[in-house]
Amino acid sequence: MNYRALLRHETFLAVLLAIVLVVLAWQSDRFFTVANLLNQGRLMTEIGLIAIAMTFVIATGGIDLSVGSILGLVAILLGVFWQNVGLPLPLAIVAAIAAGTLAGLFNGLIITRFKVPPLIATLATLALYRGLAEGISQARSVRGYPEWFYVLGQGEVLGIPTQLWILLIGALIASIILAYTRWGRTVYAIGSNEVASRFSGLQVEKTKIALYMASGFAASVAAVIFVSRVSTTRSDMGTGIELDAITAVVLGGTSIFGGRGTVLGTFIGLCLIQALKNGLSLAGVKGDGTIMLIGAVLILAILISNVFERSGSR
Amino acid sequence: MGRTLVSALLVLSLSTSLSQAQSTWTGGDDLPTSPLACDGTPAEAAAQPYDGGEPKNAPDRKGKEITVVDVPKLVGIGYFNATSKGIAEAAEAIGNMDAKTDGPSRANIDDQITLIDNYITSGVDGILFAANDPVAISPVLKKALDQGILVVGYDANSQPDARQWFVNQAEFNGIAKTMIDSMAAEIGEDGSFAIVTSTFSTPNQARWIAEMEAYQAKCHPNMEWLETVEAQEDNILSFNQANTLINKYGDDLDGIFGMTSVATPAAADAVTQAGECGNVAVVGLATPNAMKPYVAAECVKSVVLWNPVDLGYAAAHVLRAAADGDLKPGDTSVEAGRLGELQVINGSEILLGAPFVFTKDNIGNFDF
Amino acid sequence: MMSEAVAQPARRLRRQNFAQRLFAEYGQELVVLAAIAVLFVVVTLVNPRFVNPNNLVTIFSGNAYIAVAAIGMAMVIMTGNIDVSVGALIGVLATIAGTLAVSGYPIWVALVAPMFVGMAINAVIGVLVAYARIPAIVVTLGALSILRGGLISVTGGTWITDLPPDFLIAQKRFLSVPVPLLFMIVLTVLAFLWMRYTAFGRSIYAIGGNREAAVATGIPVERRLVTVFAIHGAFAGIAAILFATQLQVIQSTVPPNLELTIITATVIGGVSILGGSGTVIGSTLATILFATIGSALIFVNVSAYWLRAVIGLLILATVLADMWRRHGRNGAAA
Repeated sequence: MNYRALLRHETFLAVLLAIVLVVLAWQSDRFFTVANLLNQGRLMTEIGLIAIAMTFVIATGGIDLSVGSILGLVAILLGVFWQNVGLPLPLAIVAAIAAGTLAGLFNGLIITRFKVPPLIATLATLALYRGLAEGISQARSVRGYPEWFYVLGQGEVLGIPTQLWILLIGALIASIILAYTRWGRTVYAIGSNEVASRFSGLQVEKTKIALYMASGFAASVAAVIFVSRVSTTRSDMGTGIELDAITAVVLGGTSIFGGRGTVLGTFIGLCLIQALKNGLSLAGVKGDGTIMLIGAVLILAILISNVFERSGSR
Repeated sequence: MGRTLVSALLVLSLSTSLSQAQSTWTGGDDLPTSPLACDGTPAEAAAQPYDGGEPKNAPDRKGKEITVVDVPKLVGIGYFNATSKGIAEAAEAIGNMDAKTDGPSRANIDDQITLIDNYITSGVDGILFAANDPVAISPVLKKALDQGILVVGYDANSQPDARQWFVNQAEFNGIAKTMIDSMAAEIGEDGSFAIVTSTFSTPNQARWIAEMEAYQAKCHPNMEWLETVEAQEDNILSFNQANTLINKYGDDLDGIFGMTSVATPAAADAVTQAGECGNVAVVGLATPNAMKPYVAAECVKSVVLWNPVDLGYAAAHVLRAAADGDLKPGDTSVEAGRLGELQVINGSEILLGAPFVFTKDNIGNFDF
Repeated sequence: MMSEAVAQPARRLRRQNFAQRLFAEYGQELVVLAAIAVLFVVVTLVNPRFVNPNNLVTIFSGNAYIAVAAIGMAMVIMTGNIDVSVGALIGVLATIAGTLAVSGYPIWVALVAPMFVGMAINAVIGVLVAYARIPAIVVTLGALSILRGGLISVTGGTWITDLPPDFLIAQKRFLSVPVPLLFMIVLTVLAFLWMRYTAFGRSIYAIGGNREAAVATGIPVERRLVTVFAIHGAFAGIAAILFATQLQVIQSTVPPNLELTIITATVIGGVSILGGSGTVIGSTLATILFATIGSALIFVNVSAYWLRAVIGLLILATVLADMWRRHGRNGAAA
């Protein structure tokens, strides 16, 4: 594994982010304000949590396409547990998150026990979980949560949006785990060479199952935050979020083939996308222009980084 | 090998048979319904106090140039293309109003919320919206009101206190009555029909279906309601679903309702291509341009819709009137350019008018 | 990781009877076929109208555009790559076809242009993947955004109406066979034969199975990859034509998640996501399976609320059945 190349991609991305911030701030004086930036942090939390867990999954050479559907399912379950089953809301939250984590566990079991490639397994559960969300909800929304619940998605703690704390703490813990623990090294080892890791006695299966559970857990927490932010549940919540999260992860330099990637990179990638979305909108660019530009940035960033890396290693 | 094959089959057949337990569903929501009188006597509208919101510390915008953004449910479909055309037309006629349309590329609540949030930060004077979800959009709209931004909805409402006014294209029970009456006129009092809708969780469609159900039970009790199928906003799927309904019910199917501007032309095409014109009636909500070939071929007799260009036009005028202080809480009507006086109903809604029925005779007069 | 999925049919071909060989080579295709057969039998028992000729046409022809797009996708996936932008590409190409048709160009130009534009766009993607060595998912995620945004900013969301009747080829029949069905069958068979019996076709499997080995045997991998992406673009062009001419209106949006539907059909049909194995017959059968499920659930009155859950369950069952088939026979080896 080439550590220098890794740092290089993130440095490059950070420089790019800085340039983007400067340009956007110059384009609109409403962009680079504390209030706006904090608000953007609020808006990117759900994708961010999912992307952080996805970084681990992709670093093992896997992928989890079912996260958007898990998000939808957990949102629906949260409402159903609270309103139809009659659980107190805190308990309903815990139960819904547990269910989402179980959905992740189920992904992990299909992938490890039945040896189904992750892309196929999670494509199938993408359809299944979304279908369950629709079936359970019967197209009904659950609304009218108690006031305290909205603190999570709409409130602030110490002047910073509540969910941004969760994202920052989650990112910090995740990056420590990935960079400094045995477990993190196992993730990279699996991604670099799964067969070799198995022979060298690493717990490949257990690690993978844990990662897909973590991915389900992250999607579940994102679901609760999302419900709190928009104050209702719908079975179509989170549709397409998997591609947004994967975009952030690969933009952040995680190799889709596994073995390489950092939480920091994902985080910078995430900020870059969010800054573009927001800043371009403030600069008067319409939504369709913005998504075109994000697509181009994604391709170019990886292209330039590849060129750097190759010229460096030669 | 035999074992695995058998087990594969077993799993499949099990899951199929498991799900055979039939339940009745219509695709309507569970809010209370208020069907209109069968003979068309207008409902006695109880005067309601204003229940909309107010922008906080709004600057005096009377007669001043304002910038307005229009955020529809999604861009890329004919219907919202027409509403934004109407908004642009009104902005031009009004003069001191600069309006642009920017919406999500998919009908996604989160994309829409993010867009609105960005426009709040960019400091627009007014927001026009058509909500993908009435509740989900409300926090961000309240935030706009808190910052003194004018907020007016059209097509799909938010919670009342999250916006000032909502331009209602036609009341839900009015649409329901027109739809069911048109269908009854075509297939008779004992006809049977099925519905192709977008998704069961789309609020407007679910509301219309619930009202249709109530009105049909009240005024056309002998009509038979077969089933409702989902087809997203996907025209080929709508076409396939309509075909499947025709194939499933054969001669037992007399009519199909299309609940969206995507589903209705697709259903009409399915009927046309199946050679069932005249045997299976299609009634639905749709934009006239997409329906012209079927209406001209006399395969479709009535297309129900309000004029979405007028809807956008009215919404822009309402916003301007609110900015100028010409429309205040408690007012009972508002002046809307070429549309004349529009009535305020239900506290804070402005009614565009009765739903319009496009027929062979008048459809050529519309271009959207 | 890539080497695990090398196509191994040759190893087993010796001393096996025909049925075993068939099952060894086309196991997943047979599972999908069996699933279709079971559904047909079960649903016909419940409601005999299921097999009336019109419904058969709806089932087999209604999703033909997805099957055609899945042929190209199958080739891309067999090389060990993926394309998540194809849904947006189909939307762009359909709009190009419709625009040409209503602005007075000869019909054949409108019908053929999408193929070439599709080839050109995907050749660029192929170059980025093959020569610039950017992972296909990254390039196509980017392309997805660019195409989707571009489509809306160019069309402004306007629908195309008043299409000339000759343009609407998907509504026509040839020898009483619906044209989409004809396209689906002919293209599937041609692509299957081409991939099996030509040197180029076989090199697709070789690249996906083991890229280094393919390089060693003198296959110009980079050029082949670009060509495969371009061919995929051509299939997307044909799919776009079938999509655009089925109805008399062309929307400037495509069905949400169309790319995922196409990818799902491909992998459920047995194309290994790790590259190197599978056939386009499998992907076409899987598309038919989806259409059969969708129709069947309406015919047996499954509550529409649970429809997607049942579809998901059926997909999962098919995947698990395939894995069971593979590992049940070969022991636990991956």
